[in-house]
Amino acid sequence: MTRHNRILLSCVYWAFVAYVFVPLILMVLMGFKDSKFIGFPIRSYTTDWYTGVLQDTETLTAFGYSVAIAVLSTVISVLVGTWIAVLLEGRKFWGRAVILGMTILPALIPGIISAIAFRIYARLLGIETGMGAIVWSHAVHNVPFVVLVVMARLSTLPKSQIEAARDLGADPLIAFLRITFPYLVPAIMGASIFCLLLSFDDFVRSFFLGGYEPTLPVLIFAKLKSGMSPEINAIATVALVLTAVIGVWAERFTRRMNKD
Amino acid sequence: MADPLVRLDKITKRFGDTTALSELDLDIAQGEFVTFLGPSGCGKSTTLRILGGFEQPGSGRVLLRGDDVTRLPPERRNVNMVFQDYALFPHMTVKQNIAFGLELKGMGKAEIAARQDEIMSFLELGAFGGRYPAQLSGGQRQRVALARALAPDPALLLLDEPLGALDAKLRGQVQQELKSIQRRTDKTFFFVTHDQEEALTMSDRIVVMNKGKVEQDGTPEDLYFHPASRFVAEFIGETNLLTGDLRGTDGDAVVMDWFGQTLRGHAPGGIPQTGAPITASVRLERLGCHATRPATANAVQGRVVGKTFLGSRMALDLLVDDARGARLRAYVDARTGQSVGDAPVWIGWDESSMAVLRD
Amino acid sequence: MTFPASAREERGATAARDRTFWGKLSGWAPYGAALRVATASPRRQFLILAICPVIWVLTQHLGPMVQMLRVSLTDAYPVAPGTPQHFTIEHYLAFFHDPLFWQPFFRTLSFAGVFTFCTLVLTYPVAYFLARHVRPKNRMLLLLLLLIPFWVGEIVRTYAIMILLGNTGAVNLVLKWIGLIDRPIPFMYTSFSMGVGIVYLTALYMLLPLYSALEKLPASLNEAAADLGAGAWTRFRRVTLPLTLEGISSGCTLVFLISTGFYATPVLLGGPSTTVFAETIAGFFHVAGDQWPTGAAFAIIMFLAALLVTAAFQKLMSSLRKGDSK
Repeated sequence: MTRHNRILLSCVYWAFVAYVFVPLILMVLMGFKDSKFIGFPIRSYTTDWYTGVLQDTETLTAFGYSVAIAVLSTVISVLVGTWIAVLLEGRKFWGRAVILGMTILPALIPGIISAIAFRIYARLLGIETGMGAIVWSHAVHNVPFVVLVVMARLSTLPKSQIEAARDLGADPLIAFLRITFPYLVPAIMGASIFCLLLSFDDFVRSFFLGGYEPTLPVLIFAKLKSGMSPEINAIATVALVLTAVIGVWAERFTRRMNKD
Repeated sequence: MADPLVRLDKITKRFGDTTALSELDLDIAQGEFVTFLGPSGCGKSTTLRILGGFEQPGSGRVLLRGDDVTRLPPERRNVNMVFQDYALFPHMTVKQNIAFGLELKGMGKAEIAARQDEIMSFLELGAFGGRYPAQLSGGQRQRVALARALAPDPALLLLDEPLGALDAKLRGQVQQELKSIQRRTDKTFFFVTHDQEEALTMSDRIVVMNKGKVEQDGTPEDLYFHPASRFVAEFIGETNLLTGDLRGTDGDAVVMDWFGQTLRGHAPGGIPQTGAPITASVRLERLGCHATRPATANAVQGRVVGKTFLGSRMALDLLVDDARGARLRAYVDARTGQSVGDAPVWIGWDESSMAVLRD
Repeated sequence: MTFPASAREERGATAARDRTFWGKLSGWAPYGAALRVATASPRRQFLILAICPVIWVLTQHLGPMVQMLRVSLTDAYPVAPGTPQHFTIEHYLAFFHDPLFWQPFFRTLSFAGVFTFCTLVLTYPVAYFLARHVRPKNRMLLLLLLLIPFWVGEIVRTYAIMILLGNTGAVNLVLKWIGLIDRPIPFMYTSFSMGVGIVYLTALYMLLPLYSALEKLPASLNEAAADLGAGAWTRFRRVTLPLTLEGISSGCTLVFLISTGFYATPVLLGGPSTTVFAETIAGFFHVAGDQWPTGAAFAIIMFLAALLVTAAFQKLMSSLRKGDSK
């Protein structure tokens, strides 16, 4: 009975693996199709679409734009998120639950609502749509993830570590910089990579807060609306490989960190 | 006489509704190995944390060499601590761990290097300077923690149950080591433990704590043979407790009536003033078994009802005659123990062996 | 070994220059003075630590929602110079007047509910398999395998589904090849294609909470139940399922909230008959003639509705849990 269950369940698992992988594999394959029309079967292959994409200024600009936005927003998210995490972890004070709730809020608001709210708020703050607005919205949206990751790590720092540093003559700031911060570095690295990917992949905020220059997902979206073409597959594949590689590397990195 | 190294002056500390320390007074002299002993929650750790600056007392003062340091944060006190979990910094090597306190004292690099070498050779850590804490054994970590705390030359070293994480075999060895380090450095050690054996082995002086108050303060011998209170008598070692009525005093001796027998003891904790029955403590090894009435101040008759062989000695369970089933337990050497038969025996002990307890 | 350390008093200017960075910093008078001011009392120290985070979450996390609420209650936004702003709830009322508005709204909620349920049914056995039938050593590897595709962005994955389900897509090709169909089935631009896409995008958020709930469950419970004569189905229904309700509850909440917020996926995978509320809301922000207050009001309606549904759902789950522990 259990044996049958096991076989059945492993079939379900591998079917699920197929479900998550097959569409992506097909999409990658389609980028090599030697025809303008998206569709199966693929009769002959070419790498022309890729060479085309790598020479296309529009794509390359969008790519650079996305990377710049990801890096800038991540820096802000990590700074703010770490600070909030240090405030919230292991401290009891009046209103802590409220602040924690508000901290997590941006992660819980459905995408479209979050984008609209940011769009309206950007006008109140006088932020022009474009790179600044996108960076800002990504930064705010990603703070909760940093806070959660850093808080989780901070909660495992023995209290005696800080006390020992203080005991040996370190004031609170030096104790933080020399003991707490090095301890948090792996978590901060993990959170940074997560933020980079979230920002790089984000569509809805970039779409509503963007100016004339599109980020990579917005560019792909715009191209898709005017029709499918293997060129889009090539662009998407480049984005896919990049994010998947960084994602896997980050997974391994955080796993190693948790082992320590 | 100059100020004591440390003086605690009416320290009171509350956590919510529970009182951790109430009006604690204590002086510690330079070069002493003082142990705070007591069950968990007795206030010993709180005292240690107040000395280290990690807790602020609700009221009272902490004086260090006559200066009031009550409100000073830990980093501005010349007091260092060996933590229960050692709290070695995992991302720093042994050398960097030791240098941590020295750097913050404002020492120059050359001076730090010299001091590092000095303390590492003193504690036989020379080979481990480049290692990280994770690469060390439990005993080595304990020595690094000690080295790190001693390096800045503190006036007082606090030790928070630093042997708890070691296995039993190693613990005995480290106890000897700690004691010898304390002698050689002439530092003042303030040691906190719940392990009475550890306290007896190492200390110059033991302060037994219970419910936020000092039960008794004295040398290990004092506490063992002359317990002042029932708590001390029972917490340290094994003992016989005899409950009877106070008859009065005869010079220094306290006379009590125990099932019709008149017994003489002394009262290290003062003579109880209540009219209620009083209790006296006699250590097991202070009872002697004899075939005839011994010349000791106290002697009662009884029968052996149980024997437990313990290797070097033997524990005898004795049923005292005409005492409503009262029993005594005595340690005798193994040979005496074997020779004792079913015949009635005399059990005798000195006046100085019986401590009348204050409660 | 010397105690006290030798030559304490001789340390002077020469040593000071030789200090390490941290020694210099802590010995630097202005730093010390500033720090002493900052840490003069625990209260002040806390305030200095707390002030920036609190301002940030108030202005950046709460601010956008509050401003959206404000805009939704004004008659016109942005305000033309010189014209007064009026309080109004007309934008909220407009929602009920036009089926063009509330149809997509209810469609969104019911789609999100259905897709959430599909995700749950699809991922539960996967999580169960990983947590129960895979050796701990391999678990992480098999889980990681599933995580890789989820690092890929929303748009790229939506596009992948378009290729899969198109008239000349892989599914139709396979069906034709095995002779099941003559003409391609039009999967695309239906609620089916949208469902496949959204489930594809959200599966991970269901899988992880389920997995961690199942992993926490000691295997001995199941063995004990088996020992008492419970069959596989009974064991699942009476032991495993009730004890993983918490994981189910948090996974469903997360997936539901995310599902209601998709914009690009319905636009690309859906058709005219599957317009979701996100598209309706977005419409008010696209057109040149700004209708922001209406859009803001609709966004608020949707947010409240989503919160209401998830709150009701969580309440239901927790009452189920309590009922079980009795």
